[in-house]
Amino acid sequence: MIELIGVSKRFGQTTAVDDISLRMAPGELSVLVGTSGCGKSTTLRMINRLIEHSDGEIHIDGQQIRGFREETLRRRMGYAIQSTGLFPHWTVARNIGLVPRLLKWPASRIHARVESLMTMLGLPMDEFADKMPRQLSGGQAQRVGVARALAADPDILLMDEPFGALDPITRETLQHELRELQARLQKTIVFVTHDMDEALRLADRLVVMDQGRIRQQGHPLALLREPADGFVASLLGGEDRGLKEAALLTVGERMMPLGAKPLPGERISRHATLREALSMMLWRHAERLVVIDDQGMAIGELSLRRLVGARSHE
Amino acid sequence: MSDALNPGGARPNVVLLSLGLAGLLAWVVFDAVSVAPNRIVSGQGHGAWDVAGWPGLVASLAPMLAMLALAWRPSRRHLRLALGLVVAMLAALPAWLALAAARLIESEMPQARLGIGAGVWVALFLLLLAMVELRTRLALPRLLGGALLLPPLMSLAVWLASGLEPLALRQELLARRDGFIAAIGEHLLLVGAAVAISLLLGVAIALAMRRWVRCRTLGFALLNSLQTIPSLALFGLLLAPLAWLAAHVEWLAALGVSGIGWAPALLALVGYSLLPMVRNTFVALDEVDTGVIDAARGMGMSRGQIFRQVRLPLAAPVILEGIRITTVQAIGLAAVAALIGAGGLGTFIFQGLGQAAMDMVLLGALPILVMALVADALLGALSDRLRQGAAS
Repeated sequence: MIELIGVSKRFGQTTAVDDISLRMAPGELSVLVGTSGCGKSTTLRMINRLIEHSDGEIHIDGQQIRGFREETLRRRMGYAIQSTGLFPHWTVARNIGLVPRLLKWPASRIHARVESLMTMLGLPMDEFADKMPRQLSGGQAQRVGVARALAADPDILLMDEPFGALDPITRETLQHELRELQARLQKTIVFVTHDMDEALRLADRLVVMDQGRIRQQGHPLALLREPADGFVASLLGGEDRGLKEAALLTVGERMMPLGAKPLPGERISRHATLREALSMMLWRHAERLVVIDDQGMAIGELSLRRLVGARSHE
Repeated sequence: MSDALNPGGARPNVVLLSLGLAGLLAWVVFDAVSVAPNRIVSGQGHGAWDVAGWPGLVASLAPMLAMLALAWRPSRRHLRLALGLVVAMLAALPAWLALAAARLIESEMPQARLGIGAGVWVALFLLLLAMVELRTRLALPRLLGGALLLPPLMSLAVWLASGLEPLALRQELLARRDGFIAAIGEHLLLVGAAVAISLLLGVAIALAMRRWVRCRTLGFALLNSLQTIPSLALFGLLLAPLAWLAAHVEWLAALGVSGIGWAPALLALVGYSLLPMVRNTFVALDEVDTGVIDAARGMGMSRGQIFRQVRLPLAAPVILEGIRITTVQAIGLAAVAALIGAGGLGTFIFQGLGQAAMDMVLLGALPILVMALVADALLGALSDRLRQGAAS
C-alpha cells in the first residue's frame, strides 16, 4: 500500500505538487492523469525518491520512505518509463535481470526468473534473450521494460507514461496485456499518463491532477458521471463522456437475457463494450443485436433502448 | 547494377579525376629522382623519361590512365578496381626507385646517393589522397582501410633489402641506426606518458566539471587559452619555473627534472592534450541518454554502479575518440620537443634543417607520419568496435 499525506514539492519558488493526499490500496491500479506540468510525474517520482518531497509524508506499507536507503527502496519497486531506458549495451536477458542481480540473487534463480518473465510477456527466450535493445521494435522494447520492472517481483510498480511513444495499435495491445497481467499479479500500480482513453481503460482509481493539486479521484465511472467541476469534465472528454463511459461498460451488463431460442440478427460478444455495440448498430443500421457467449451461443438481446437506457441496471 | 540503382554514382568522380590528372602531370613534368655522387654535393635531377625511356614512361602512366577511366563511371565495382590500382601503384613506387637506381647509378660510385624527386613525392601524396577518397566512397571499415597500406609497405621493405641500397634515406638511416631506434623509443615514451597522464587528469577534470557547474566554464576557458600558446613559447615559459624547482626540490632534481629536457616537454604535451581529452570525456559522459540514467537510478543502482556499469561503457567510444585525437596530436607535437633537448625523432628534423640535409629531415618526419597514421587507424578501429559493441 502507498500512502501520501499532505505531500508537497517545491522547486525554488514554484510549487510543483501542492499538499496532496492519496491512498493506493494493494492490488489497485491508480492512474494519475492531467495536462503536462500538472505534477503527476513529480508525484510518481517522489514515491521512489527520484525526487525528494519537500513536505508531508509518504508511506510504503506503513513505513516512511525516508526510513529506507534510496537504493533499497527503489529495488523494492518496479519502474518503467516512456523511453524504456533499456541499457543499449546489454542484451535483453541482462537488462531484465538487472534488479535481481543488484539484489544478489543466485545466477540460476535469475535465469529462471528472466525466462518465466519473457514467456509471460510473449518474448520467447531463444529468440529474444540475446538480442540487443536496438534490434527490438517499440512494442517489444517496452515489453522488455515492463519485464525488467517486474523482475524482482516487487509489490509496487511505478509506470511513467510507459506506452506514450508507441503507435496506437501497439499501445492498445500493451494496455490490454497490462490489464491481464494485473488481473493475475495484483500489484499496486501507479501509472502516469496524459492520454485520457488510456487512463479510463486501465484505472481502478483515476486521480485527476491540475497545477499540483488533486482535482478529483475515484473510480473512472464515478468521475465520468459526476465530474467535480468543469475542468475535470472537459479533461474527461466533455461532450464525448457518453462514449467514454460506454467504452467502460460491457454488453453483458445491459443485455436482456433470453432463453436458448436462436435469434436472427447481427451478433456481438457479451464481452464487447457498449461503445462497440453502438458502433455496430450505427454501421449496420440495426436497433437490436444478438448477444452471444464465448461458445457462440445466443444468450441475450441488446436493443438500442436498453443500450442508452436507464442506469438502474448496474 | 549499382549504376542503375544509383544514378549519382554514374556521374564522374571529380576528386579522383583531378587527383589522377595532377598525378599524371607531376609524373611527367617533375624530377623522378636526383642522383648525387656523395652526401655533400647536391644531386642532379632526372625525369621519368631518364629512368625508363619512352616505352617505360608510357607503361608507367598506364595504371593511372586506367584509374581515370574507372573514375569516369564510378560504379561500386569500378571504384573497387580503382582502389586495387591505387594500392598496386603505391606498391610499385619502391620498384620504380629501384629501377632508377639501377639505371642511373654506375657501380663504380659506391658513395652515390639516390634522392627521391618531386615527381615521386607528389605521386605518393596524390595516391594516398585517392586512397582516402576511395575508402570513404566505398565506406570501408577503418581497420581494412589501414590494412590496404600493408602491400606498399611490404614492397618498400623488400626493395630496401635489395635494389635500393643507394637510396639516400636508407644511407642516412644506416649511418644513424642506433640513434634512430633510440629516438623512436624516446618519441613513443614521451607520447605514451603524455597521453596516459592527460587521460588520467582529463577524466578527473571532466568528472569535476560534471559535478560542479562553476568548474565547467573556468576549466574550458583555461584549457582553451592553454591551447593557444605556441608550443615553443610554452617550452620557454616552463623553463624558469622548472629550473627553479629542480634547484630547490632535491627529489625532483634526482628524477632528472630540469628547465630543459623531458620534463618541460612532457608538461607541455600534457597541457596540449588536456583540452581534447577533457572535452571528449566530458561530452561523452554528458551525452549518455538521460532515459537510460533515469531508469538505472529508478531500478536502484548506486551512483558508483551507474557510473561503472552504464555511463562509462556507453561513453567509452567517444572517450577513445578523444584518446585518438590526443595521441595523433601528441605524436606531431613531440617533434618540437627536440628543440629543448627532449630527444625523439624531432632531433633528426632539426639537425637536418640545420645541415640543409633534406634526407635527414625525412628520416625524422617519415616515422612520425607513419606513427600518427598507425595510431589513428588502430585507435579508430578500436573505437568503432566499442561503438558496435555498445550499439549492436
